[in-house]
Amino acid sequence: MHTVLIIDDSDINLTLIKALVLKLGECNPVLFDKPLAALEWCRSNEPDLVIVDYMMPDMDGLKFIAAFRALHGRNEIPVLMITANDQRDVRYEALLGGANDYLTKPIDRVEFGARVRNMLSLRIGQKFLADRAAHLAELVDARTSEIREREKELIFRMSRAAEFRDPETGAHIQRMAHYSQVIAHGLDLGPAMEKLVLEAAPMHDVGKIGIPDYILLKPGKLTPEEFEVMKGHARLGHELLKDSGSEILRAGAEVALSHHEKYDGSGYPKGLKGTQIPQLGRIVAVADVFDALTSERPYKRAWTLDDACRFLEDGRGKHFDPLCVEAFLAGWEDVLEIRQRFRDEEIPQI
Amino acid sequence: MAAAFVLNKASILERLGGDEEIYAVMVSMYLADIENNCAALAAAYAADDGKVLQREAHTIKGLLATFSDEPGAAEAHRVEKAAQAGELAGLGDAVTELQSRLREVAAVLRAG
Repeated sequence: MHTVLIIDDSDINLTLIKALVLKLGECNPVLFDKPLAALEWCRSNEPDLVIVDYMMPDMDGLKFIAAFRALHGRNEIPVLMITANDQRDVRYEALLGGANDYLTKPIDRVEFGARVRNMLSLRIGQKFLADRAAHLAELVDARTSEIREREKELIFRMSRAAEFRDPETGAHIQRMAHYSQVIAHGLDLGPAMEKLVLEAAPMHDVGKIGIPDYILLKPGKLTPEEFEVMKGHARLGHELLKDSGSEILRAGAEVALSHHEKYDGSGYPKGLKGTQIPQLGRIVAVADVFDALTSERPYKRAWTLDDACRFLEDGRGKHFDPLCVEAFLAGWEDVLEIRQRFRDEEIPQI
Repeated sequence: MAAAFVLNKASILERLGGDEEIYAVMVSMYLADIENNCAALAAAYAADDGKVLQREAHTIKGLLATFSDEPGAAEAHRVEKAAQAGELAGLGDAVTELQSRLREVAAVLRAG
């Protein structure tokens, strides 16, 4: 059913046009004898066609069309202007001012029917294109979302692949990623950055995939030479992920390279200091160390939460960015909830 | 003075796609409104309001054209243009004639 808005100050014309519109079928005429009232109606209603007389009190048809076109979303709706057959200049002005076509008085039913049908066909085409564009946008969104989910899954699995060669667990990756998000939230970085931190943090140790087993899985303390090799996982992870087309992987590369830097410059691989260290690295450093300390491992017992917090506090400005420690502790309730949510399924024996 | 109005129902119906029902409604509305149209026209002239007189004459032009009264519509058009130009002096006779024309057309339609 097409909604046809008809505006004419003459009752006889309104009646005639309404009757002609009804004869066309599948049309619902809406009548106004005052253009300002019609304009008000148009603010909350969307006609499929507007038929407007030229000469009316208060507001003529040209002014009505200009005001109608200025309303949001009313720029494409077809408008037919009715003029007397001696008003050629008005017709020109109407066509240039936003009317799609015109009708002359006295109205001829055949001409009226043809022009109204043409305008309604135009409207049907517009709606079809708009629906199709909306449908395509939905499809693209759905597909993009699928790809993004797949990308996240692959990242998680890749991170797990590195961790499988390490005594750490999948739950560690989840916890440290969510702790990182708590810190990003505390730093007020905004929802988009919080999401990026959550998705990139799991890749912090992906470079361990390139560390030989005899070092990675060595039960005892590493020799200085072995530790140098071990430190190479930061650069290896960066090499693996850098220059990606994916924003998450690029962020992962930054995390991998910088999460062992220390605020006082004593970290590795570059010995960066303070804010020279990328913010992602400063965030992940706090989250990773806290979870490592509070997790049980084959070679160590879990620290108490108090001891781990004290370690973070003592490390402010030395190992850790003070603001990141502050943000982490400010989100303590969330930290506890994350610990509960992502528990280690199997605790390796000491 | 325009020639006497002759009802050409066939030409009107042709424009209305042969729809007798619409024709009957339009005649009925014309007859119901005719005195209001005459009064509005006279009031606009008496008030020396060119803009309103132009609009009333324009409305009457459309009404007369609807019933295929080309000479009557031409008279209304002259009044409309004169009013638009602000030339109201001397329009009194034309306004009176237009009122007469409206009533003449009404009488013919009523006899119909």
